[in-house]
Amino acid sequence: MALLLSLAPMLAGAATWQHEYGTVSLDEPPARVVTLNWAATEALLLLGVTPIGMADRDGYSVWVKEPELPEGVHNIGTRVAPSLEAIAELKPDLIVTSAEMAPAAELLERIAPTYVISVYREGSRPREKSREMLVTLGQMLGREDRADAVIADIEETLAIQRQRLETADLSDRPVALVNFLDDRHVRIYAPNGLYQTVLDGLGLSNAWPRKGNFWGFSVVGLEALAPYGNSRIVVISPLPPGLADTLAISPFWTYLPPVKQQQIYPVDTTWPFGGLFQIKRLAVQLTDSLLAGGHDNVR
Amino acid sequence: MYAESARLPSARPTIRATLPIAAVVLWLGALAASAMPWLNQLQPAALVAAFWTFDPDQYSSVLAHYSWAPRVSIAVLIGCGLGLAGAVTQQILGNPLASPTTLGVEAGGQFGVTVATLFAPGLLAFNPDLAALAGGLLAIGLVIALTWRLGFSPVTVILAGLVITFFLGAMNMAFLLLKGEWLGNLFIWGAGSLVQNNWGPFMDLWPRVLVLAMLMLALIRPLQLLQLGQASASSLGAKVALVRMLALLLVVVMSTTVVSRVGVVAFIGLAAPVLARLLGARTLGSRLLWSTLLGGGLLLLADTLAHWASTWGDGSLVPTGTTTALIGGPVILLALQGFRDTHRMPGQESGPARFPPQRRSPVLIGGALVTLLLATIVISMGWSPGLEGWNWTLISQWHEAWVWRGPRLLAAMLAGVALGLAGTLIQRMTGNPMGSPEMLGISGGAALVMVVIVVSGLEVGRVGQLGAATLGAAAALGLLILLARKHRFAGNQLLLGGLALYVFMDAGLRLVMASGGPVAAPLLNWMYGSTWLISEHEAFGLMAFVLLICGLLGLVVRPLTLLPLGDTSASSLGLPVARARLLLLLVAAVLTASATVVIGPLSFAGLIAPHLARVLGQQTVGRQMIVAGLVGGLLLAVADYLSRIVVFPAQLPAGLLAALVGGVYFLWGLSRHGRA
Repeated sequence: MALLLSLAPMLAGAATWQHEYGTVSLDEPPARVVTLNWAATEALLLLGVTPIGMADRDGYSVWVKEPELPEGVHNIGTRVAPSLEAIAELKPDLIVTSAEMAPAAELLERIAPTYVISVYREGSRPREKSREMLVTLGQMLGREDRADAVIADIEETLAIQRQRLETADLSDRPVALVNFLDDRHVRIYAPNGLYQTVLDGLGLSNAWPRKGNFWGFSVVGLEALAPYGNSRIVVISPLPPGLADTLAISPFWTYLPPVKQQQIYPVDTTWPFGGLFQIKRLAVQLTDSLLAGGHDNVR
Repeated sequence: MYAESARLPSARPTIRATLPIAAVVLWLGALAASAMPWLNQLQPAALVAAFWTFDPDQYSSVLAHYSWAPRVSIAVLIGCGLGLAGAVTQQILGNPLASPTTLGVEAGGQFGVTVATLFAPGLLAFNPDLAALAGGLLAIGLVIALTWRLGFSPVTVILAGLVITFFLGAMNMAFLLLKGEWLGNLFIWGAGSLVQNNWGPFMDLWPRVLVLAMLMLALIRPLQLLQLGQASASSLGAKVALVRMLALLLVVVMSTTVVSRVGVVAFIGLAAPVLARLLGARTLGSRLLWSTLLGGGLLLLADTLAHWASTWGDGSLVPTGTTTALIGGPVILLALQGFRDTHRMPGQESGPARFPPQRRSPVLIGGALVTLLLATIVISMGWSPGLEGWNWTLISQWHEAWVWRGPRLLAAMLAGVALGLAGTLIQRMTGNPMGSPEMLGISGGAALVMVVIVVSGLEVGRVGQLGAATLGAAAALGLLILLARKHRFAGNQLLLGGLALYVFMDAGLRLVMASGGPVAAPLLNWMYGSTWLISEHEAFGLMAFVLLICGLLGLVVRPLTLLPLGDTSASSLGLPVARARLLLLLVAAVLTASATVVIGPLSFAGLIAPHLARVLGQQTVGRQMIVAGLVGGLLLAVADYLSRIVVFPAQLPAGLLAALVGGVYFLWGLSRHGRA
């Protein structure tokens, strides 16, 4: 009897999910989904669903790269100010967005059921949140298996990479993950961000001890790296043009202990404000880079 | 005539000793504060030695030599340079509030570098100064062009500088918003950071600053003659115009050279000469000397504070631009004490703005504007780009399009009307054609609250945003009333008090900008007017409110007609001057606040609409208000439409477009119609 009762809503076809600003009810798995940030786009692509429209489409292939975006997705404006009219024109049956769009929540809800989940907001834990997003979207789209497989794959990847590092005995020295903004300032990834979960998964420790903003980073002057002489500096692309040359003639940089000890490691672009896949992407690249050995400058 | 009246009371021989003491205290304090974090790592002697040598085996010594010492040196160098430039500017223009910042030179330099980064990166690699210099010259050229016909009255010059700063700032923001991910470095650079890791920039900079300073000092004697007034100076053989131009050029070169290397370090060039004067420097020579010294000490102190603040909390960079702005705000308020706008540029005939005296039929003009407004509404509702290309929406389908196009259009239009009315009120009240609600600081107060919300990471919905903005506007208004009561609500003090509020907002904005793209972009979008978020209720609510205020406006026509006649005439005609000003201020503030939540603090509607109304031949208060309201509504309606279509499906904030469109008109219109 109880079984029958629990089956009843499924038979009727409608299912309901809680989200940050209310609930979403869907009669059937949505086919036309619009995503308003890249983390959501990534989750959808991981589930094997191509969104009908997304925000900042053209930037995606530069900054996120993987999972690859198929052709034919409509661009609906920027991530901070999407065009509501363009979204409406696509007649979506699900919109995925974050609390950043809270002021527009009511307007979005008029277009289509809106699922609000913020991987990045004050106090949230990016890895748990992006996992929740993937699982919930999996349920909504009827692709729970796919979601489980992706999560299992990421766990497995982390375990394998961790093993590689441990075998090579490369786990001890702390790692500082940075993006160079110009030749004087870096964005350093903090213990409360998504990248920390990569370090945790790989059994590495973060050289930078302080909490960052809710996106998980702090902008600091380059000299802020100085106290962490015993660290490996992992430099994430892209680099400002001419950076390597400028740094090469800067004694401040060449005397920096990690530089002197050839502990500078390059990593290709990953999207620091993305979802679960970025964990996998960074984990593999970071391990490869650490195994390949360090350099005495950025490259 | 009152050549010294704008200065502080001059007969204070007893405090002359305070100047050297203050300078020494400032320097020693700043140096000690700057050295303190190092003393537990290095011996004091080793720290001093860090200025010329280092011990390669000890990294803290390397760090002191290549990070701390160049940072201290460059702060002192830039501070001295800007202090001197500020003092020279004030002398040339005879204006106690002039400085490279308030004349828009720094904003111009920033604009030049942004444009070069995007469109001519080769030029930057070749010589970073050229782009900044071109921008700075552009800015000061615009300020001069704007104020040429208006007389170089100090307040007018400062307001023109502010207009130019906003205008060039808006263009900067447009680039940052559209290309944000790619311009991360420009966000930081614009915020002004003195972080160094090499002696290169200092070595590069010091000969330039030194040469420019020498050249400025060579102009001391001719500059001193300027103090005598144009006629006497000419008879003594100084080519007044030439000296002024030369000195101004040097100021621009100095400021933009600094800007191109470390970004915008605002307000030092203002604070140093103001402090020097407050502490009793009276002759030109002593003002130049002490401004230079105080500038160096001030910037070192500001930079040390910024550095300290960076090490508190999460270690995020606090740009030096933030702390200099925090110092700049109070200094402007200090400078306002005893500031009177009776002071003109020596020898310069200064008259109020003259508008063409012709009158035109209000029905004709009003009819034309209403027609244009209707046309805008029809085009905005009907002719729009879609994902598949442009198409017409038939009037029978407007109810479908309404929800996306209607409320924002309506709200933008109403905001424009409100700003047009508020602008007329303020320009009439202050008798200054550069006065505008944007510059009263009321919208600045609203924006300041939003900046604080973003900095603190609080999450607020739409209602919260509106509430917070209104609170901020009310608080700014309260402050202004307090400030203005002392001056019997006289106009110019109000306008300059508003300037001080903007400075604080600027400090917060720089802090946000320094944390880069993802944090700054939402704020910038709001700041420049995100009409796309307006819902129907909000639009209708605003409509009811604006209509109500319009009804009340009939009451204020009489005081508005009388106030510009001067306090004495107005009160002899039976007008309670102070109370009338308070009432007008309140009405203007409420109108501004309601418009700000829609269009953001930086559109030019309130500046342009009243001006255009007079150009269109509406001279009496009532007619000017009606036409200004229509013009404001039209301007923002067009801006809202453009914001939706120009980069579809992306959007630019409507306030930004209004500022761009309006700014261009304003520059053209004022130079053309401001003629006698």
